[in-house]
Amino acid sequence: MARKISMKMAINEAIDQEMTRDPTVIMMGEDIVGGAGGEGEKDAWGGVLGVTKGLYAKHPDKLLDTPLSESAYIGAAIGAAASGMRPIAELMFIDFMGVCFDQIFNQAAKFRYMFGGKAETPVVIRAMVGAGFRAAAQHSQMLTPIFTHIPGLKVVCPSTPYDTKGLLIQSIRDNDPVIFCEHKNLYGFEGDVPEKSYTVPLGEANVPREGKDVTIVAYGLMAHRALEAADLLAKDGIEAEVIDLRTLSPLDMDTVLESVEKTGRLVCVDEANPRCNIATDVSAQVAMNAFGALKAQIEMVAPPHVPVPFSPVLEDLYIPSGAQIADAARRTLAKGKT
Amino acid sequence: MCLSSLGFPANHSDLEATHDMPSPPLPRTTATPDAPLVGLIANPVSARDIRRIVANASNLQLADRVNIVLRALATLAATGVTRVLMMPDRAGIRAMLSRHLQREHNLQHAFPQVEFLDLEPTSTVDDTFLAARLLREAGAAAIIVLGGDGTHRAVVRELIAGADSSTAIPIAGLSTGTNNAFPELRESSVVGLAVGLYATGRLSAEQALAPNKLLDVSIQSGDGIRRDIALVDAAISTDRYIGARALWKPEGLHSVFLTFAEPHAIGLSSIGGLLAPIARDAPGGLAVRLAADPARRQFGLLAPIAPGMAREIGIEQFEPMPAGRPFAVDLDAGVVALDGERELTFKSGERVTVTLRENAFRTVDIARCMRVAATAGLFRLCS
Amino acid sequence: MPDNNPFPLPKDELLDAYRRMRTIREFEERLHVDFARGDIPGFVHLYAGEEAAAVGIMKHLWDGDHIASTHRGHGHCIAKGVDVVAMMKEIYGKKGGACEGKGGSMHIADLSKGMMGANGILGAGAPLVCGAALAAKYRAKQKGGPSDVAISFVGDGASNQGTFLESLNLAAVWNLPAIFVVENNGYAESTARDYGTAVDSYVDRAAGFGLPGITVDGTDFFAVYEAAGEVIRRAREGGGPSLLECKMVRFHGHFEGDAQTYRAKGELEDIRANRDCLQRFTQAILGAKAVSEAELQAIDRDVLGLIERAVAEAKAAPPPDAADLTTDVYVRY
Repeated sequence: MARKISMKMAINEAIDQEMTRDPTVIMMGEDIVGGAGGEGEKDAWGGVLGVTKGLYAKHPDKLLDTPLSESAYIGAAIGAAASGMRPIAELMFIDFMGVCFDQIFNQAAKFRYMFGGKAETPVVIRAMVGAGFRAAAQHSQMLTPIFTHIPGLKVVCPSTPYDTKGLLIQSIRDNDPVIFCEHKNLYGFEGDVPEKSYTVPLGEANVPREGKDVTIVAYGLMAHRALEAADLLAKDGIEAEVIDLRTLSPLDMDTVLESVEKTGRLVCVDEANPRCNIATDVSAQVAMNAFGALKAQIEMVAPPHVPVPFSPVLEDLYIPSGAQIADAARRTLAKGKT
Repeated sequence: MCLSSLGFPANHSDLEATHDMPSPPLPRTTATPDAPLVGLIANPVSARDIRRIVANASNLQLADRVNIVLRALATLAATGVTRVLMMPDRAGIRAMLSRHLQREHNLQHAFPQVEFLDLEPTSTVDDTFLAARLLREAGAAAIIVLGGDGTHRAVVRELIAGADSSTAIPIAGLSTGTNNAFPELRESSVVGLAVGLYATGRLSAEQALAPNKLLDVSIQSGDGIRRDIALVDAAISTDRYIGARALWKPEGLHSVFLTFAEPHAIGLSSIGGLLAPIARDAPGGLAVRLAADPARRQFGLLAPIAPGMAREIGIEQFEPMPAGRPFAVDLDAGVVALDGERELTFKSGERVTVTLRENAFRTVDIARCMRVAATAGLFRLCS
Repeated sequence: MPDNNPFPLPKDELLDAYRRMRTIREFEERLHVDFARGDIPGFVHLYAGEEAAAVGIMKHLWDGDHIASTHRGHGHCIAKGVDVVAMMKEIYGKKGGACEGKGGSMHIADLSKGMMGANGILGAGAPLVCGAALAAKYRAKQKGGPSDVAISFVGDGASNQGTFLESLNLAAVWNLPAIFVVENNGYAESTARDYGTAVDSYVDRAAGFGLPGITVDGTDFFAVYEAAGEVIRRAREGGGPSLLECKMVRFHGHFEGDAQTYRAKGELEDIRANRDCLQRFTQAILGAKAVSEAELQAIDRDVLGLIERAVAEAKAAPPPDAADLTTDVYVRY
């Protein structure tokens, strides 16, 4: 039965259900229980934003608080995955990948290929992504493109509670390493989520809104901004089709190409910095594979090529808005063939 | 007579800067070639063996060993010792000490000129043997030794080889090993003072030194004789390999021979210490026959045979060990552990004997040195 | 124990240890020659001279135990039971290699043997071993009995990596059945150990992280064997992690082609003559008459035959197909 729960609760429920189903599913991370070793409350935090709160009571042996030591425990999760477990490692903020990246891109990502197809590394690395939390340059980045660049990794970034639960369960069951990106500004976002366990396949985009005039491709928080843009455009009688990529590697280009064949116009939205991001990748692939279908140049909406600023005024300017996306759609609609 | 009138080198104006990397020459005070020379052997690999795993034995960190050396150097300098010759190592003491001495130099603190012996470290006990030999050849007045029973045994073995016990260089031991029955627990600053007084000639050999006993172990076969020594204990075990060297299992212990046995000692000598104590400076030793076979056992004895290990030992018999009388080992094949470490294996047909020797080598008697010095007013400064 | 065997292993185990060490030695010396001839692509780092450490430790392990190796990994692979012919094919970059020619010398792995891979990233194996040890701990909890263990090998150089130091802490905090072996051959690539390490004792390192550490003479098989036996038993029985430093010598350069001008004059000749762990082991077991010359010679013949066959098969093996370029990136994509 579906009920409305937050994205945060959807994550919690997915982990709970998978831990119950599969004894090899464990989780480790900094303060994922909280209060370990102290005299006060156990499960004091349940993660820095409370995502895993309550799981410790249900699975006391399967949640492991770690020292502040990302290289060691992200590596340990990968090593455990290579020796029979299905660990979920929480990196807290994806910005912290700088201190443990070797374990992710030189170890987890390479085992399968480097060992001649004889290794499986079913690890999920969960991390918060994205701006809007007034957390400034080192706790706000959208670093998804860094991971999609690397063969051997899968990258997921959902936008709704429903997708989050289904994609996380699928990621845990997946036999490859998955970087699971959770937008911290969506943690409180509520939506319909079935209580039972279910999966959403990796590599399949979602089309939350259909339209014939322009295709807007986005993911994560930007999927919501794209829908806002579509609402704005609808007031002008423009029917925008919004594609939520959900999974960035593998990337569902079929859905994008099919849509562009129909609309002839494309706006790529990304919260990642504009150079070599997901939007440029999608744009390039459309230009290469559906150039004939394009009626005008592709538009991209992304933050400026700067770090995430702290001042609320500046940060609000940094994050692409629904209005900016709608403007980009209007620009592409104003040009080219009709 | 007072210290300052004897050329107390409080002046550090002649320290010179050094720049070489990675092992800079050490800061130095001016030393004439005939100035009293003190040797220093700091074993970097003592207290590193398997007893840390099996018995929580302590681990004296390199940083602490270097601090012990620095304190001894500082007080040696205070007594007028200007030259110290040290065993080099590749395990970190030389490197860390060099860094520290450079800092002391920058701070303009007085230290002796420290030089390292010309030997290529192998990180084995051979370094200690060779260092002791080179120090003897260099004419060291005394050698300060940092280590446990094993390190001291190695130094003594080399110093007495071919030397008369009355002329062999005396040693001053500092306990930094695992099992320390031989070296006493002493603060190195005081050891530096006492050794300095002896090395600079302000205390005579009669005043400063004490005689010591040891055990001569020989294994005779058709091919010849192998000989070695022990300072405290020679243990015979039915184990037949050397392995990780340390002997910590009571199973297989066949007999133990002891030069001295103190009830408060740690290690195999505690067996004797708890049966029939014999002082370090008393005549004679003790031979203990252990009972692996329960039928021959007279009684059990609880003894701390290794750090962290109080074990029941079956005793068959024990008897005094007069000097000069060889005790034959009636075991067909096994291993001889010297001062706690398995050193020599013997097989069927080989004859093992253990003989106590008195007045075998000399140590600097720190307590006596300081008492004599105090009585003679050697530490009083001129006003 | 038979009368003429004074060692802690029965005769067949002594012979097995000899076989493994001899196989590593011949494998490496053969690579040294074939690399110089230009037969082998890429980087090769040889383990010759260090055999007693790998075999002295691995003699205590079973397939469920995991190891994570280093760039100098051939010895660990052979000691852990990875197929020698498949290894040679891998080093030649051929189909049928241990990693189908996609890994090469620096990445040979065989997870079915608990060998989690040689590793081109220095210090990277230590966190992986924490994970393998954690998995072992869960398995032991479910099935009962002694735990599998996981062993990380690291050189004296890579012991300065943060990954290694973090892993010591994590293993101690989680009381993992993990063992950290520091293979100290005196050189971090070309740089002497004294230069790059301020506190130059690995036992001190271990103590600083709250786990026991010991140092053994890594050129003495029996010293390694006994010490490894104790740390492994301790880990299996819940006594937690420990560190084992093996002081050893490297017979070849950091990599093949290294002229080794940083060594002292006569150093290589000296260590070959006086610190050869295989020679030392052979002398010990022959000297005690625990085995016969003939028995060792028979093994030598087997080993030489095996290496000869491995090289021949490696040379004859086909290279990977062009289609293999894009396979096995993912289990499913």
